[in-house]
Amino acid sequence: MNEISTPELSRRSFIKVAAASSGGLMLTVMLPLGGRAALAAAGTVTAYVSIASDETVTIMAPAPEMGQGTMSTLPQIVAEELCVDWSKVKVAQAPAGASYVNTVTGSQLVGGSMSVRGYFQGMLKAGATARQMLVSAAATQLGTSIANCTVANGIVTNTLNGATVTYGAVAAAAALVPVPSDPVILSSTRGYKLVGTSAPRKDIPSKTNGSAIFGIDVRVPGMLYAAVKHSPVLGGTLASTPAKPSGAIAVVPFKNAVGVVAKDTWTAFKALNQLSVSWTRPATAAAMTDATILATANTLMTSGTPRVAETVGSPTAGLAASATLLNMTYTLPYLAHACLEPLNCTVSVTPTSCEIWAPTQAPGMCVQTAATITGLPASAIKVNTVHMGGGLGRKFEQDYIAQAVTISKAMGKPVKLTWPRSEDFRNDQYRPMAVTKITAGLDTYGNPVYWSNRIVSQSILGQRGWLPSGAVDSQAVDGAVGMPYAINNRLVEWVPHTATVPVGFWRSVGHSINAFAVESAIDEIATKLGVNPLAFRRRLMVGNTRGLAVLDRVAALSNWATTPAAGIARGLAYHESFGSIVAQVVEIQRVAATATTAATVKLLRVSAVIDCGLAVNPDNVAAQIQGAVMQGLSAALWDKIGFNSGVPNVSNFNAYPSLRMRQAPRIDVAVISTPGAAIGGVGEPGVPPAAPALANAYAALTGIRLRSLPMSSIMTNMGGGDD
Amino acid sequence: MISLTINGKSYAADVTADTPLLWVLRDTLGLTGTKYGCGIEVCGACTVWIDGSAEKSCDVSVSEAVGRQITTIEGLSPTGTHAAQLAWIAEQVPQCGYCQSGMLMATAKLLRENSNPSDAAIDSAIGNLCACGTYPRVRAAIHRAAALLAKR
Ligand code: FES
Ligand code: FES
Repeated sequence: MNEISTPELSRRSFIKVAAASSGGLMLTVMLPLGGRAALAAAGTVTAYVSIASDETVTIMAPAPEMGQGTMSTLPQIVAEELCVDWSKVKVAQAPAGASYVNTVTGSQLVGGSMSVRGYFQGMLKAGATARQMLVSAAATQLGTSIANCTVANGIVTNTLNGATVTYGAVAAAAALVPVPSDPVILSSTRGYKLVGTSAPRKDIPSKTNGSAIFGIDVRVPGMLYAAVKHSPVLGGTLASTPAKPSGAIAVVPFKNAVGVVAKDTWTAFKALNQLSVSWTRPATAAAMTDATILATANTLMTSGTPRVAETVGSPTAGLAASATLLNMTYTLPYLAHACLEPLNCTVSVTPTSCEIWAPTQAPGMCVQTAATITGLPASAIKVNTVHMGGGLGRKFEQDYIAQAVTISKAMGKPVKLTWPRSEDFRNDQYRPMAVTKITAGLDTYGNPVYWSNRIVSQSILGQRGWLPSGAVDSQAVDGAVGMPYAINNRLVEWVPHTATVPVGFWRSVGHSINAFAVESAIDEIATKLGVNPLAFRRRLMVGNTRGLAVLDRVAALSNWATTPAAGIARGLAYHESFGSIVAQVVEIQRVAATATTAATVKLLRVSAVIDCGLAVNPDNVAAQIQGAVMQGLSAALWDKIGFNSGVPNVSNFNAYPSLRMRQAPRIDVAVISTPGAAIGGVGEPGVPPAAPALANAYAALTGIRLRSLPMSSIMTNMGGGDD
Repeated sequence: MISLTINGKSYAADVTADTPLLWVLRDTLGLTGTKYGCGIEVCGACTVWIDGSAEKSCDVSVSEAVGRQITTIEGLSPTGTHAAQLAWIAEQVPQCGYCQSGMLMATAKLLRENSNPSDAAIDSAIGNLCACGTYPRVRAAIHRAAALLAKR
């Protein structure tokens, strides 16, 4: 997509551009080639809505589904205005590519928790447009005017005589009605009926019986199976194409990898192990070692050239007014995405066409990737989006898509490429490590009057060539700038780390780093002052009505005001991100040391509150928060990718633990809707507060402040079941 | 040719004897409900039943599966109405859904042995990894399934 190559655009702003353009795409542009007559024949009222004679309503979801629920919540918004019975609605994933006008590419992207935010108005309009066309056709059939018609549950009633006609009966006629340019949005006057309810997710039944088709499940007649092995050293290149191992059908060389093609995935995996490959080590490899990376970060912290991300008030005056300074340095590791579905992509390239079935967060970008490799025009490329077994920011990248296109092109046949799990872990675009130093100044009365936050981390945007020279990477400072606390003199700086580890967008991106530092530091200051951490935050948030409401709600949900029993402690964290506000309280219990084990803790319970403006589907919002808390806690407790001379030290889940049933806490979630507020994201904002809430709970329990992640020492991963 | 009995039906697969059952199910026979997550027996996404016992199919070679009754998620209930499946829908358990075939197979096995499992029994029987963190809903759904079974 074009936006991507525009250097000054940050990830979020380019998504905004894309989303802003999507409103206009909904009905007028997203018409299949073949035009409106073809729509009428198929009973399709608009490209977003089709209605069958049995009254089944099919609504297209434009954003790919990776577990976040948008395949259902976006159609729920359409259904609101369409005035149909949700139980009769089916949803389908909208494709990108040839059958839709190609300006769609670039608008279909899921990331930045932007799906509902970006599509909301457009989806309302899509539903309203279709409804108005259906009612118009129905009025004609009923021999009356539109003004005399009412509609509910897909049935149009002539209010003069009570005669009715169903959507199904007039769908074909409706498709020929002129498209209203400015349809009436019913919900703007009567309020929402379906939006704001926990309507059951449409994708769930298929995810209980094995029928949901994920990327890795795609089967195309005559397809071959492929797998890849990358240079074990990151940045290494293939010295020469290795010989074809027995059992393999072909070997396909890449700059940094080798693909093998075989008759099934297992045979391809086995062939990978038999390859004898020589790789060229990059000069950068030696420095890609944990100790070196950390030492460099510490050096950059003291002597690097910082770029100023934010100045509030007068930091100089604040520093001068400080009677006490608190210095707090936090260290966070590289993280992998570790989606349970490994990277995979199925492609069929012919001399004149390219069809892709990909678990991808960015179908529009896949068109571009395939066009570059095949030389085909975008109109000859079709991308089918299928379920993703997690995306988390990794399935936005194009590396695995490009490989699959290249292999299919080389073979002249459909090919499904699957990365072995070890390749997935060792060739991620990792969440950057970071060292963050916060200095807080208290005046003689103990009021915080100075705050400086210097962050050293690699630039995600810079590595992609999207950061102008000397600029601040917005991704690196997200969650550090715009702090909600009224400390009036503040300075936020960033020093780019020079390490060459491939880095990328990990659920909540910079917020996952900066919330840990900021929310730990705020807690440390409160402790220093002997003030209750909740009261301290409230004091610094005077006037922030929504923020205070979230804090008060989490206090109630977690029984914050009651003193926990002996051996139990609670920690609080608050963070605003992606337009939403989240607060969490983590409650932990001390597990005494035994003769053979050190003292550890047990996660008892997490209370979480989110204000996302409008919750389209509150139960789905709650699910996202539960999942985000689990991921945030797992990462905080155990996860870290280390490097030794360019070789990542994790290749499977046994070395990258996460919570399982037996150690997962109970999680209570309250979802607050603030009428009239802008819609916030829900997929990511639950992640950032989890780690600091845990660290704060641990400090409350033990007096020990953990400033470095992961906190593996406080809880032993027990793995899965007994077997 | 290797003959297998899966979900009560006979299948023939032209694969080498060392091929893991997982890949025979998925690639050779098209039963893609069983998922590949780790390939080393740590995630549970590939869980199936072999002669009624829940096994990780990534670590069972197809030759070991010959002559045994294999049940996959596709065969858990012909109508998709096993108590656990109904409970999963009622509790809106899946997010991405990738782990859920394995979760359900492990759960259904647990319920067959213990129709009203305690939280502790659930903890020790359900070790599957869910990267989406659906554990609280999985727990609630198992209790709900137990209640459904009690009514049947
Ligand atoms: S794929 Fe078999 S346990 Fe993970
Ligand atoms: S629902 Fe996504 S891994 Fe469990």
